[in-house]
Amino acid sequence: MPNDKKSEPDKTGRPAVELVDVCKVFDTSATPPAYAVDHLSLKIASGEFFTFLGPSGCGKTTTLRMIAGFESPTAGKILLEGHDVSGLPAHMRNTNTVFQSYALFPHLSVEDNVAFGLAVKRVPRSERGDRVAAALDLVRMRHAAGRKPSELSGGQQQRIALARALVNEPSVLLLDEPFGALDLKLRREMQIEVKEMQRRLGITFIFVTHDQEEALTMSDRIAVMSTGVVRQIDDPVGIYERPTDRFTAGFIGDMNMLSATVLERQDGVVEVLAADTRLKLKTNAELPAGKDCTIAMRPEALTFMRDSADDAAFAGKVESAVYVGTDRLYNIRLQTGEAMTVRVRNSRADSVLRIGEKVSLFCPSSAIHLLSDQDKK
Amino acid sequence: MKLSRIAGLYVPIVTILGYVFLFAPLVVLVIYSFNAGRSTVVWTGFSMDWYVQALNDRGLQRGLQVSAIVAVLSAIISTAIGTSAALAVIKRPFPAKNLFSTLLIAPLVLPEIVLAVGMLVATVWSGLALGYLTLVAGHVLVSVPFTFLIVRAAAATLDPRLDEAAADLGAHGGQIFMRVTLPLLLPAILSATLLSAIISFDNFVMSTFVSGVGTTPLPIQIYAMLKTGLTPKINALGTMLIGVNVLAILLVMGRYLKTVRGTGQ
Ligand SMILES: Nc1ncnc2c1ncn2[C@@H]1O[C@H](COP(=O)(O)OP(=O)(O)O)[C@@H](O)[C@H]1O
Ligand SMILES: [Mg+2]
Repeated sequence: MPNDKKSEPDKTGRPAVELVDVCKVFDTSATPPAYAVDHLSLKIASGEFFTFLGPSGCGKTTTLRMIAGFESPTAGKILLEGHDVSGLPAHMRNTNTVFQSYALFPHLSVEDNVAFGLAVKRVPRSERGDRVAAALDLVRMRHAAGRKPSELSGGQQQRIALARALVNEPSVLLLDEPFGALDLKLRREMQIEVKEMQRRLGITFIFVTHDQEEALTMSDRIAVMSTGVVRQIDDPVGIYERPTDRFTAGFIGDMNMLSATVLERQDGVVEVLAADTRLKLKTNAELPAGKDCTIAMRPEALTFMRDSADDAAFAGKVESAVYVGTDRLYNIRLQTGEAMTVRVRNSRADSVLRIGEKVSLFCPSSAIHLLSDQDKK
Repeated sequence: MKLSRIAGLYVPIVTILGYVFLFAPLVVLVIYSFNAGRSTVVWTGFSMDWYVQALNDRGLQRGLQVSAIVAVLSAIISTAIGTSAALAVIKRPFPAKNLFSTLLIAPLVLPEIVLAVGMLVATVWSGLALGYLTLVAGHVLVSVPFTFLIVRAAAATLDPRLDEAAADLGAHGGQIFMRVTLPLLLPAILSATLLSAIISFDNFVMSTFVSGVGTTPLPIQIYAMLKTGLTPKINALGTMLIGVNVLAILLVMGRYLKTVRGTGQ
């Protein structure tokens, strides 16, 4: 869940990575062109743990591969530490990649796999040995130095892949769904370990995942992507608690969404109509009267008891109830027809309701997110 | 049921007959290579004389030398061509790739005698003398489809991510080849070399057309000797050749099985 303790990235220097209007079209003959990555612009600070989060096929891997140099952008510029690397092949970039499939060299021992980058760069043998040993210590795999990759488990191979990349002391480490093939328990362990490693080493990590929880626990900042477009960039707390975009709101955690219309707007406050209810909400968004928008509420933000006088209220009926240990989950059908999910702590007095019972739903206006509808893709 | 019992015997009987048909001539050849007399029909006693004679025959010595030189040279060249072509086909996009592959394998399905006549015509047309050069070229033509197919099959199982991983770690094209591609393909490349050496060593049709005076390879030398009379000397030589070939094939098979197991297929 949201991670409040975020290590402060070095925001003073130039960005480690900067993307300027980067596009990638694989099949240039198609009309209209299908953008795998669609006019992407962002800056990633040095020492930051930056995550691209989005569903499968949204262009995360393609973005990462363009930064690594395996694909070249159809348009736009990529800068590494301020230098345009558009024409630079992968082997001349100061980035290293951890592949989802590990891609360890099967004919080399663990030690030689890790030493590969140093050997091709002609680092003296004596120094090589020390650095390889240090990298293997870092991932706690020193004992496996003499083994072949095929003799290791998936999790161990992933550690070797990490060591093989980190031993080169890259300015940017790229990780493409590195834990995708691991079971849940191992995945959690690796998440904590890799995050800790990044904090200690101070290397910029660019991480790709479709797992929102993974993104929220590990990242300093997250870019939520869909269909080649970045929908929102923020820290985990911001992404979870202040979604500004309909896609982000729906992708991260559970969210109840209602269509709404702006009635009037004056200095930072808009009055909207949603499910036959008038709501006053604070916003900076550009929302003139008459415009359609969406309001969104987390299931855990809704209650059946009014906690404060200016809570929004909706009338509905209990359709189903599920007991999930600490909480109860209710499906409520509003009078206007929309379905809402409510999550209530069992310790609350209002937690037990009968199916079919008429209820009022309350939500503090601070927990209602106002989303513009322009990105309704 | 009588009929089903006969049907049940069909498979083992045919199998045994098949093996007899395949190996009886070889067994007879090996046995009579130790015959004391001149006959290849009547057994007169055990002797190693024919082996001594075969090894001391100037014509056979010369033929063996020519065959060995041509086998080694043509195997090296054929493997180099086959490997380069296989890597190009697997790793690089280029136009008319399928046509290129098909043309390389074509010598496999064309009658060898047509290829041989073609080689001879081309030699005469170019004004080159028949000799080592034409022998090696002809044998490369015959064996290159095999080296290409063997290395291509192995290269197709290579994970393309390995090349990317190597480039990512700072290796340029040459380093990727030397440190990743070549070591991983080495078993297949060795098999290809050995197989093309055997193909060259056994070749008859192509050699008949493109060998010159003084460069008669062993199979043609043996054939020429048959015209002056069949003696157990040929049997002795044949037995030695079988020995060498079996050894080579066991090596190839061993390598091949290792590759297959190594890639987990
Ligand atoms: N080599 C390729 N050739 C053609 N289309 C590709 C290629 N790689 C990716 N794509 C397409 O680009 C889009 C984005 O893919 P990708 O970056 O792999 O997504 P993600 O990593 O987010 O799952 C997808 O629609 C995918 O089909
Ligand atoms: Mg991907």
